[in-house]
Amino acid sequence: MALLEIRDLSFVYPDGTPALEGITLTVERGERVSLLGPTGSGKSTLLQHLNGLLSASEGYAVVDGQVVDDGSVRAVRRKVGLVFQDPNDQLFLPTLLEDVAFGPLNDGVPAHEAAELAQRTLDELGLLSAQRRAAHHLSGGERRLAALATVLVSRPEVLALDEPTGDLDARSRAQLIRLLRKRDETLVVATHDLEAAHALCGRGIVLHGGSLVADRPLDAILNDSEFLERYALAASLDA
Amino acid sequence: MSFHHLDQYATISSPVTRAVPAVRVLGTATLACGAALLPLGAWVPLLVLFAVVVLVGGLARLPLTAVLARMSGPAVFVLLASAGLLFLVPGEPVARLGPVAVSDAGFERFTFVLGRAVVALGAAVILVSTTTFPQLLQAFRQLRMPNVVTTALALAYRLVYLLVDEMERLQRAAKSRNAGAGRATRRRLLVSVTAAGLSRAFARGERTHRAMLARGYRGEAESLDATRWELRQSLMLGTMVLFVASIVVLAHARP
Repeated sequence: MALLEIRDLSFVYPDGTPALEGITLTVERGERVSLLGPTGSGKSTLLQHLNGLLSASEGYAVVDGQVVDDGSVRAVRRKVGLVFQDPNDQLFLPTLLEDVAFGPLNDGVPAHEAAELAQRTLDELGLLSAQRRAAHHLSGGERRLAALATVLVSRPEVLALDEPTGDLDARSRAQLIRLLRKRDETLVVATHDLEAAHALCGRGIVLHGGSLVADRPLDAILNDSEFLERYALAASLDA
Repeated sequence: MSFHHLDQYATISSPVTRAVPAVRVLGTATLACGAALLPLGAWVPLLVLFAVVVLVGGLARLPLTAVLARMSGPAVFVLLASAGLLFLVPGEPVARLGPVAVSDAGFERFTFVLGRAVVALGAAVILVSTTTFPQLLQAFRQLRMPNVVTTALALAYRLVYLLVDEMERLQRAAKSRNAGAGRATRRRLLVSVTAAGLSRAFARGERTHRAMLARGYRGEAESLDATRWELRQSLMLGTMVLFVASIVVLAHARP
């Protein structure tokens, strides 16, 4: 049984803007998948369906055998850890420790255990010394890692990352990629960064205008320059 | 934008910064209440409380200039709010400011209100200079403030920093295109930057709420255990409360 299954999923925003149309795909346990596509292609919207933040207008998403709906959303959110595009959206409490402990506390973990879990996770990511600091006292790279820590602390089975390398400098980007390569969770990465996608994932799913236009090994996608140009995944600088 | 300067004195090791935050909050409240409860004209007890504030500030190793600078903003407000006392309290005129006279009773009340404000503001400035916002929240939780209030304060704290940062970026972007020459244009710029900032704050609030939901938030935010009180801290606080209370009682009991 696939860990993630999306069947004929369509989504229209309340203002009537269509975002996803008839998406069908499956992701096996331990698989590493990149969601590629230009801005506005529906990558972030699709990720939010995996975590139950958005409900499909048509079709459905299944996580580990459970259809994502109001009844299953708590269990689904424990299984799918979603890291948002902007770490500032994810770091909303006065200290890093409180931010990282937020998920376990919501899962009913006692406060002292949640603090221990949070400290262990921060330690794993090399952020323990910053545990009492507020997010606005962290660098961009540290903030990105901290956002990841807020999700890793709950030991999810799936890591859903939205533009994880966006706005990182070369060193922080490499550090994040190295760290993610070592992890064994199922990975779904929405990104514009083809190099990072290649370093992390073996399979590529391309969205364009809310529709799935390709689901192939990433190498095959990256080696098809005509395809990359057609779907705005790469563009030549020559007119 | 760097915000390190705001907490620069909270990291200085001192008997004040080593005290449990809740003790600091209660100590500040005790001094402020003590000053407020003193009877009019009790200058000596007020000076004693002021001496306590100076002593605590000294123990916290706070530079006098920093304390005065942080007091200046609220002090202007106190001055404006209490200036009416000079003219409205009946008594013998001691000076004239145009058509209105300053009465002796009004002057006494005005200066005493200022004295009380200096003690209360001094204590408050020492508290916020030696205590980071997360520690203040921890204190409020220890003091059993409702969870919904402390959670709202915690979220507001982060949002304010993000909002300030975003407003600054908007302002810089506008200035980089030569906006803001002339008073009227500057005013218009401020209005548009504020409007854009608020709209961004709203959008960020939405995204933050989603991020909270994604991590299992269901409308009730739990918090980590607060630091426990030590006996020594309770004794320190108890001594201060008794000391201030006895000053207030003595001030009321004087003939």
